[in-house]
Amino acid sequence: MTSIGTGYDLSASTYSPDGRIFQVEYANKAVENSGTAIGLKVKDGIVLAVEKLVHSKLLVPEANRRIQTIDRHIALATAGLLADGRQLSNRARDEATNYRETYNSPPPLKAVADRLGLYVQAYTLYSSVRPFGISTILGTVDQDGPALFVVEPSGVFFGYNGAAVGKGRQLAKTELEKLKLPELSLREAVIEAARIIYLVHDDAKEKEFELEMSWIGPESNNLHVHVPKDLFDEAEAKAKAALETFE
Amino acid sequence: MDHFPTNWGRPRNDAFDAYGTYPIHQRPQNGPKDAFSAGVQRTQQPIVTGTSVIAIKYKDGIMMAADNLASYGSLARFKDVQRLHPVGDNTVIGAGGDMSDFQYIQTLLNELDIEEYTAQDGHSLGPAEIHEYLSQVMYARRSKINPLWNSLLVGGVKNGTRFLAYVDLLGTTYSASTLATGYGAHIAQPLLRTAVEGFEDVLTEEQALKIIENSMKVLFYRDARSLNKYQVATITKDGVNISESKHLETSWSFAEGIRGYGAQTQ
Amino acid sequence: MTQPVQQAFNPYTENGGTILAIAGADFSVIAGDTRQSEGYSIQTRYAPKVFRLTDKATLAVNGFAADGNMFVKKVRQRLEWYRHAHAKDMPIRAIARLIQTMLYARRFFPYYVYNILGGIEEDGTGAVYSFDPVGSYEREACRAAGAAQSLVQPFLDNQIYFKNQTPAPGTSFPKHLPLFTVLPLVIDSFTSATERHIEVGDGLEIYVVLAKNSDSLQGLQAIGGIQEVTANTDGERTFVIRRDLKKD
Repeated sequence: MTSIGTGYDLSASTYSPDGRIFQVEYANKAVENSGTAIGLKVKDGIVLAVEKLVHSKLLVPEANRRIQTIDRHIALATAGLLADGRQLSNRARDEATNYRETYNSPPPLKAVADRLGLYVQAYTLYSSVRPFGISTILGTVDQDGPALFVVEPSGVFFGYNGAAVGKGRQLAKTELEKLKLPELSLREAVIEAARIIYLVHDDAKEKEFELEMSWIGPESNNLHVHVPKDLFDEAEAKAKAALETFE
Repeated sequence: MDHFPTNWGRPRNDAFDAYGTYPIHQRPQNGPKDAFSAGVQRTQQPIVTGTSVIAIKYKDGIMMAADNLASYGSLARFKDVQRLHPVGDNTVIGAGGDMSDFQYIQTLLNELDIEEYTAQDGHSLGPAEIHEYLSQVMYARRSKINPLWNSLLVGGVKNGTRFLAYVDLLGTTYSASTLATGYGAHIAQPLLRTAVEGFEDVLTEEQALKIIENSMKVLFYRDARSLNKYQVATITKDGVNISESKHLETSWSFAEGIRGYGAQTQ
Repeated sequence: MTQPVQQAFNPYTENGGTILAIAGADFSVIAGDTRQSEGYSIQTRYAPKVFRLTDKATLAVNGFAADGNMFVKKVRQRLEWYRHAHAKDMPIRAIARLIQTMLYARRFFPYYVYNILGGIEEDGTGAVYSFDPVGSYEREACRAAGAAQSLVQPFLDNQIYFKNQTPAPGTSFPKHLPLFTVLPLVIDSFTSATERHIEVGDGLEIYVVLAKNSDSLQGLQAIGGIQEVTANTDGERTFVIRRDLKKD
């Protein structure tokens, strides 16, 4: 960490001499410490999956969800600081509502991602604030089909066919690249998503985790909902089985 | 209840154009003249209006009906307007009165529904909650002397309980096993009460539909601001269904034989 | 040529019905019919106008129904806050003053409602407080309000206060009537008002609030269809009696 002690990392409003903003890079570190979140875009829908690290056995199962609903047809998953994720999802809902008020139609995901990008970027400009310590996966299915975006702490956002953020993103990306995403059915994508989360989870270093999965597609009437219980259980069982053959 | 939406919320005054023969915005003024009228903000008035909504309880749930007409004064202006609106999975609202205010109410409810959906907390809004919400909105707007010029019926079934209630531009609310707004409160309500009161738990869907059809037919014969094209909503434990537009079979041949008033001399 | 000027929106209406309350030595009776109407139309045959506030206080509200419901909602909210702050129910004389304050706060855009509050004082006596729409109030032994006030109040004056009656030589009128005398008076008031006033009828709801350890309970035994609505049975107790009235 060459940045430490130079003084250029004390504020998001100060560049380092070689043109970097260290506070943003630190924010990326916060994301890297978090459980992995992935998103898959297939022909007729999207699947989001999160490896929610459980730091205490006393926690209520399924509490502190990291996948949230922004609009009927928009999903959001975060990796990084949980509270920042909450703040951003609330902002996303406001933006979606505002879009509907203005245009009387459901917001396209690009518009929401664009506005969230602007919002996140504003937190890289001032010495009085800290950048968001999260990377955010956004997914939707609308009249133009499925779409997937990732918003990073710097405020940039990109569209993806498969996305991975958080601790295990490298391995997850490798696995996603192996898949023929456009040819997968949504149900197959759910199985793959569960498999990847189980695969990237490092039980040597980490404690328990809880798998969280949601989807948007024809079976959910293009609404964002949890993956149905039976499919979820099937995917989780297959993921555990795959893990054993993998090792 | 007065069946001219223009008169809703105003003191009863027989001197006002009782037959509604003027376009709504230029009705005669018989009241005292306000010398400062130019500087006073006008209270709003309904412009494009819908007439009666009727609804009953029956064995399996709620049945509601409204025709497809939106009038501009005495002009039958829009003849393909849906005045029954589903909210969530268990509720339908039906609106009489100003149609632009009703559209605004629809956007309010859509926003509310999304807010509830995105919370993903296992709760959903049923007819009782939606009626309470609308009551608060309607009462708050009347208290700002800027009312939403509607009378609304809210019907639905949730957790095995039937719900049917009314709310209007004054924030007045009530519940009963038969309800009707506008002209229907005079013409249809007595028919509905006779057919339904005491039979709420035994009437079948077919019987309920007969009762509704009959009332819509009587309303079409008697209400000059009505249309023979209407929709029926049924809300049961299986959810909401709003029918395609139906046409009423009516016969007017009897009018030929009527003598004693009108243009004919013999 | 005068320009047509729109008549202003009228934020009020009248929803008919009648309420009354009578105080006894250690009880209070608060009653109202359940018809709600506008003009000649009956809106519903069952819309309550009498509301239990606490075990020792019940409020009857009559006039513009939307204002009435909102007012009761706000009073109940204030009573809940009081309960949270003080861990007890607000005494009835305090509720009465609270209602005055809440009504007068809207002096220039009034709640168009006549309130009658009935219940038990801290000293165990039956109480009736009546209000006008802007908060003038007094404690009385009996009061009728609403559409049939002009029919019911003179009857009550005669039967409760013994107005225009002279006691038999050597006797005097009782200061308070027992519950078994008061209940038939209430029922008769409403059946008569139903006969003579088109806005009264359909159903009758009578709330009876009894002081702690009151023996007026005996008078209630005979009444059919009585239902207790008390929250904590160790203090004052509240009962409700529902009856049919003519529906024409």
